Amino acid sequence: MAATAAQRSTKAPARKNAERVPWIDWMVLPTVGVLAVVIGYPVIYTLVLSTTKYNMLDMVPPRYIGGGNYEHLLSDPIFWISLKNTAVYTFGSVIISSLLGLALALLTESLTGWRFRSVRALLLTPWAVPFVVVAFLFRYMYLQNGGVINAVLLDLGLIDKPVLWLNNSALALPAIMAANIWAMMPFFFLLLSAALAAIPNEVIESARIDKAGTWSMVFHIKLPFLKSALFISSLLMIISNFNDFAKIWAMTQGGPGYSTTTLVIYVYRLAFENFDFGYASAIGVVWLVLLLVFALVYLRALKVNP
Amino acid sequence: MFRLSRMARRSAFVASTILALGMAATASHAADKVTLTFANWADAEGATRPGIQAVIAAFEKENPDIEIKSEAISFSEIARQLVLRVRSGNPPDVAEVSGNDTILLALTGKVEPIDNYLDAATRAEVKPSSLEGLSYKGKLVAFPWTQAPAGLWYDKAVMQKAGLDPENPPKTIDELMKDLAAVKKSQPDVIPLGLDTTNRAFSLISNWPWMKTFGADPFAENGATSDAMKKYLSWMRDLAKKGYIDPGRKIGEFRPLIAQDKVAFLWDQVLLQGVIQSTNKMTDADFYKHYGVATQPAGASGKPYSFEGGHQLVMFSDSKHQEAAWKFIKYLATSPYATENYTLSYEASLTPLEKAPTDALAKKLDTPVFNAFSRKIMPTVTAVPYGPRFAPGATAIMAGVQQAVTGDMPIDQIAASIQQNLGN
Repeated sequence: MAATAAQRSTKAPARKNAERVPWIDWMVLPTVGVLAVVIGYPVIYTLVLSTTKYNMLDMVPPRYIGGGNYEHLLSDPIFWISLKNTAVYTFGSVIISSLLGLALALLTESLTGWRFRSVRALLLTPWAVPFVVVAFLFRYMYLQNGGVINAVLLDLGLIDKPVLWLNNSALALPAIMAANIWAMMPFFFLLLSAALAAIPNEVIESARIDKAGTWSMVFHIKLPFLKSALFISSLLMIISNFNDFAKIWAMTQGGPGYSTTTLVIYVYRLAFENFDFGYASAIGVVWLVLLLVFALVYLRALKVNP
Repeated sequence: MFRLSRMARRSAFVASTILALGMAATASHAADKVTLTFANWADAEGATRPGIQAVIAAFEKENPDIEIKSEAISFSEIARQLVLRVRSGNPPDVAEVSGNDTILLALTGKVEPIDNYLDAATRAEVKPSSLEGLSYKGKLVAFPWTQAPAGLWYDKAVMQKAGLDPENPPKTIDELMKDLAAVKKSQPDVIPLGLDTTNRAFSLISNWPWMKTFGADPFAENGATSDAMKKYLSWMRDLAKKGYIDPGRKIGEFRPLIAQDKVAFLWDQVLLQGVIQSTNKMTDADFYKHYGVATQPAGASGKPYSFEGGHQLVMFSDSKHQEAAWKFIKYLATSPYATENYTLSYEASLTPLEKAPTDALAKKLDTPVFNAFSRKIMPTVTAVPYGPRFAPGATAIMAGVQQAVTGDMPIDQIAASIQQNLGN
């Protein structure tokens, strides 16, 4: 093979710069054009708007105020509450649902045939329910008067009066997270079940020959194999949860008070209730930067674990 | 080659001539016909859709030169969509609006003042009070369509079970608290008082009379930290702590519950009667035996208040058919047909008309509920401070109300937080 290459090189000397990769392939220009219009323009326009005072009701063009919106953002307590709530909601939901998904994947691993198919279908059901339906379902289950959760807890004698799940500042966010975890857990279950099935049989067999116990098998054999699947699915879900609007809006609209107001809810209120597009854009830019960080980590992770 | 007989050619010629003439006539008719776009939520809601569609059909029949294209948009979406459409130069000709949205749209400067169209005769037909609060920069920007003030509805059956006099609803906050305690004690599964405590502009409108009866005005200078506002917030917390209210529910969520005797008192608009009757199929006579409505129990200010939550109609300055638009607006708001078949039948609301246009309508308006609203509650209506500060202010104030109702943060701290967020 080496000889053939050498012969080819002697017969037809390579063109100068033939091996150099062009910085742009002309064939991708249509894609670049579409991306520039669909993604590039809105992002740049948002950046521009974030430096302006622009309220849609004023019917005057946006007025440049430099970093004014960003300065305001630093002293805006609702922004910081929203940021904290976003972090708690996103990381809390992802961590808990990934652990539950992992546990379920490990528990159902030994099931085969129709049993596995039935259990998998049952466990995947929440993933098939639209998010808005999940939100309303849980909202009615959480009701103080007539909600099934309070009714069951009262019947079991675990509580002596109905709990205000969505109307208590301390409980509202965890209550929404519970709904979110219920809806998201099947995603982790599905991915991790597939990753578990991909562990080579030889590895499992040799561990068994070495008399590895159940916990030892999980921690020393299976988890290392699941690490990259877990990491990549978590990153995807972090990005997705960061933007979660439907569940929170349908369940509490960010209340009570600001206890469930996340960045996306706050931006929505600023832009579409107050029509303050300048300030809403500034928060949108910060939000975009935070998401970009996660997207970069995700891309890097994909490179390391293709 | 295929050849047509002379007879067939003649027939084809006659047929094509008739067809061409017919098309020309249709085209000229279409050119004369004006199409009005009407953005509204009446057509988006199942309960009112048949009513508005019937009224539109009746208008089109009476005005064959005008066609109405109804654009159904939900109540919660309409303001957003109208502002965005105004900004993009594509507003409808006529729109149904209410509350702060009317003034928000006027702020864009793209709402056509109605003064130029409102002749003296029509002005004399409507109650002067119905035009109050519909002006912006001295110009009338909207025309009243329905009037829907709020009153304190009470379920007489629940009151009786609680040992209360069903013909004697509470007149003061102190009396109300005693009645709520009696209801809570006798019927723990009944919500003693239905109040909207969600975080949205309508919720502030609904709560505004309660703030007023405590003498509070959070939009005034340092109004959120005033003693009156703190008293109001403390009262709300007291209601929640004692389990007298069910926080987080929209007003509409209490309506089916009061229809099933699951709410004792409900702060709601005149349209509640229609909702209850459509839920429990009660006759009018049974309804009046079972439910009543009174003015708000007076608080520290000693005065009862209410808000006017009716719907208005606006037309846009970009409309090319303003004459036709005004004709349509006038028909919806003042014609006997629309009043009877929409305002009374489907909205179960009051009409802005000073006098019922027909004897039959006057008879329909002579009911205990309409009389209570017209004679006792309407005079207690207080103006809500609509304007550019209202929507962001509503978010800040209602967030504070929710903090008072659902948390343990000290009232002083909540008041200070509302004040700070109002400043923002």
